[in-house]
Amino acid sequence: MATLSYPYGGAQAKPAKRPALAEYFRWSIDHKIIGVQYMVTSLAFFVVAGALAMMIRWELLTPELDLMENGSNYNTLFTMHGTMMIFLWIVPVFAGFGNYLVPLMLGAKDMAFPWLNALAFWMIPPAGLLMLSGYFVGPAEAGWTSYPPLSSVYSPDGQTLWILSLHLLGLSSILGGINFIVTIKNMRPEGMGYFQMPLFVWAILATSIIVVMATPFLAGALTLLLLDRVAGTAFFDIEAGGDVLLWQNVFWFYSHPAVYIMVLPGMGILSEVLSVHSRKPVFGYRMIALSSMAIALIGFTVWAHHMFTSLNPSLRIPFMITSMIIAVPTGIKIFSWLGTIWLGKIRFTGAMLFGLGFLSMFVIGGITGVMLAAIPVDIHLHDTYFVVSHFHFVLFGGSVFAIYAGFYHWWPKITGRMMDERLARIHFALTYIGFLGTFFPMHMLGMLGMPRRVAVYDPQFQDMNTIVSVFGFVLGISTFIFLYNLVASTVSGKVAGSNPWRALTLEWMTSSPPPAYNFIGDPIPYEDPYGYGTEASKAYLDAMDGRFAPPSPPKAKPESGAPTTPMEPQPAGD
Amino acid sequence: MDFGKKSNSNSLLIPIIAGGIFIVLGGLAIGALTPSVFPDQASAESEQVDTLFRFLLVIGGAIFLLVQGLLLYSVLTFGKRDDDEEDGPTIHGNTTLELVWTAIPAVIVLILVIYSYQVWVDIREPNENETTITAVGARYAWTFGYEDAQGRTVADSQDVIRGALPDLHTYAGQHVVMSMQTQDVIHAFWIPEMRVKQDLLPGRTTEIRFTPIVPENGWDYTDEASGTQYNRYRVVCTELCGSGHGNMWANVYVHESEEAYLEILEREVFDPIINPPADPVIRGRQVIQNYPCSGCHVLSDVGWAGVTGPVLNGVGDRAATRVAGQTAEEYLYRSLHYPNEYLVPGYGALMPQFQPGDPAGANYMPTNDFYAIVSYLCTQTGSGESNCDLDNLRNVIDADNPDNPVTFGAGADATDVEATAEATAEMETTSEAEMTPEAEVTPAAEDTPEPDANIGVGS
Repeated sequence: MATLSYPYGGAQAKPAKRPALAEYFRWSIDHKIIGVQYMVTSLAFFVVAGALAMMIRWELLTPELDLMENGSNYNTLFTMHGTMMIFLWIVPVFAGFGNYLVPLMLGAKDMAFPWLNALAFWMIPPAGLLMLSGYFVGPAEAGWTSYPPLSSVYSPDGQTLWILSLHLLGLSSILGGINFIVTIKNMRPEGMGYFQMPLFVWAILATSIIVVMATPFLAGALTLLLLDRVAGTAFFDIEAGGDVLLWQNVFWFYSHPAVYIMVLPGMGILSEVLSVHSRKPVFGYRMIALSSMAIALIGFTVWAHHMFTSLNPSLRIPFMITSMIIAVPTGIKIFSWLGTIWLGKIRFTGAMLFGLGFLSMFVIGGITGVMLAAIPVDIHLHDTYFVVSHFHFVLFGGSVFAIYAGFYHWWPKITGRMMDERLARIHFALTYIGFLGTFFPMHMLGMLGMPRRVAVYDPQFQDMNTIVSVFGFVLGISTFIFLYNLVASTVSGKVAGSNPWRALTLEWMTSSPPPAYNFIGDPIPYEDPYGYGTEASKAYLDAMDGRFAPPSPPKAKPESGAPTTPMEPQPAGD
Repeated sequence: MDFGKKSNSNSLLIPIIAGGIFIVLGGLAIGALTPSVFPDQASAESEQVDTLFRFLLVIGGAIFLLVQGLLLYSVLTFGKRDDDEEDGPTIHGNTTLELVWTAIPAVIVLILVIYSYQVWVDIREPNENETTITAVGARYAWTFGYEDAQGRTVADSQDVIRGALPDLHTYAGQHVVMSMQTQDVIHAFWIPEMRVKQDLLPGRTTEIRFTPIVPENGWDYTDEASGTQYNRYRVVCTELCGSGHGNMWANVYVHESEEAYLEILEREVFDPIINPPADPVIRGRQVIQNYPCSGCHVLSDVGWAGVTGPVLNGVGDRAATRVAGQTAEEYLYRSLHYPNEYLVPGYGALMPQFQPGDPAGANYMPTNDFYAIVSYLCTQTGSGESNCDLDNLRNVIDADNPDNPVTFGAGADATDVEATAEATAEMETTSEAEMTPEAEVTPAAEDTPEPDANIGVGS
């Protein structure tokens, strides 16, 4: 501790007092408790949905049905896998990060509506159980997209539970989204305009706007389907004048923007992680912030590219144009992140490795996305393994890599203990290799002619499917290294200190974990959340470190530039 | 060193040019891989689509190499030195650079949109002399309908003869228009080698066009009977349609010439219609294979091995025992026409309901086919003997469909027909040895409801 080591542990001698374990199992209106509740709950569903993915890959080792008793059982696997990964893992885990971090990053004591916040979280466990209880009555088996009439008259009762569960999850999302918007709008500290906010907060703001605008359409579609199933209506019944394309339009009007709900927070995490761990300001802050908004907006105009083989052919062109345009703001982000690490002093921490991994994998998902936007190409590739590969590059190579990066970056703040960096490197290596080996060959499978959602397939694809499955198992195993690291570090990790990464955003300007109501006094944000490399920022960080240093042995550098007034500790309680 | 490329232009110029060349060549090299990741090009459309894809792959490959290259370079170059605890340079951005990397992708996107649009318009363009082939998707099989090219008509009407097959036949150079309907859920028609795909939507008739060609590697198969060559592909369902989705595929035969194609259709489709066998059992065995039953049912006599529906082996023995008061022929007829009226325990009410009324409907089945199919199913017994009274069957069908009476074999001597039927029954007993194991399995298979209780028929 004599010289600066990285991570910069120890400014805080002991981890700050953690909330009692029981707090996490009951109704709490502390956003930090709720954030952890979100994260841990969604991690549990991540494991369940991941196990389903392993069963899918096991079944696909051979071209015949073997693991599963029949096709229906196989269909339930990918239906539950997809639905849970989306609605019970990626969406809520980002809500968890948002909950934990947004008030801290804004220097606020809590979210704007703490009680509503708790309500939004407590809808998730029952919704998850409702979804899983489908296994008692025959779970949903119409895919996560649940196109009628397969999902209306041809599905077992689990489909109804699926609808009710998604209804609850959607409502939870909307409540969370409203809360974030109000919090970000009203609770920024003095001196922090919109363009001084951390980019993670920008990402959550853009995400929340999408959530609040799009999720009601999911609720609408679900209600129609529910009524068709249980109340004898005929929205999707051709005989009675209904139309099956109604579902596809309304569903995708939500579910395409939902892709950005699942990716934008990850991009926010990435901006934080890349900047902090390469010790360099974010390159083109304003462009990254505004491109999030552009993506949110354009994202509403592209939904029908999911319907290139069902939509009336003459209506398809506009959606090809809008879908391709979205590549421009996405490209801006990728190049800006490359600009951020360029000439930096990169620390290859677990968080940074997954951040770099995100960049490397997400760009592949972006490229295949543009390919799929071209109608003639999509005609061939639609509903094949190419598409499966594409969206896993976006949602795993993008979102999940970002989530891992987020955990390695902020878990020390949450628990007060460092995660094991050696295990993190092993986790990264296995995840990166496992992921690439699982999903890259799927491109070829799709192009050569393997449709998605099949349990039996043309035997010519067996070799490649075997490769995919083996790498898939590697990917599955790698997850447990991460989970072990999370738990072990919480129990016995090195003490993290208040700011192990010497980051400039406000969540680090308090103890780890932060006390109830987050800050002692009102924290003063540094003028630029990414102003690394300046004397002033170093002085600010040193002064902040000083606030959490153990009182008796003074720090070994008393002379470093006189901290100016903003950094002075403030009396408690305003 | 500034991030911007303007400063130190001399020292930066060489690496930038070298990198540019590497990226362009790399993109071209990746694009050249296109044929190895696509199946044969078996349609005129596939050439255009693949060229577009190759263009996308060259650009995508170049972007891939650019990003991964910069990333790799950064990782190798900008790693923290052991003794260096300083921050990186405080660079907040570079407006010129940011404009460049906004404008260049925008231009690329514009080019891609225009090119894709042209290809899309082009492959949809109707051709002259198109042949319409109908496709009906039903869980979990395809049926393809053909109209007689010679324009022969059904007796006593102006309607051109139509017939159906479970396989799609076409020939190189034929301008095909698929006119497609579904009997139940959404399906999708995809022939990977043709690069065509279109969903089949309930309540709509959807279309897709393609023109088969001879792929570069020529013909794969030779028909031993006629000596003509053909290629065989698969049409697969790509929209999730239920438990048998993966099994829902059919063969596509691309024949070398129109003559070979017409010959096959004449033999398989039109001749049995124009010169129907006098024996309803033989006729029934023919026509039942033109309906999508094979997607679900097991019937070893015609080689069906569906995985999701009840077994039909030996159904003739069980038919009379199913519903009190119904004879075997009555039960089989009603199961075919009103499949939901009686359900075999453990199976859902999901079999398509065939209707004799509307020849244009996706579920059309003429009463003659009802008559022939039931006659045939009646012979699916342990002994091979028919368990039915065919005169009664005719009466049952006629009573139920007064507007569409059975005309099969009208005028023929009833005793002749019966004699033939018996002869056939004897012929078919030769296959009994093969059938027996199945027949033994059958009762168990039918009495134990499969957990996948999705597809059912009152068989």
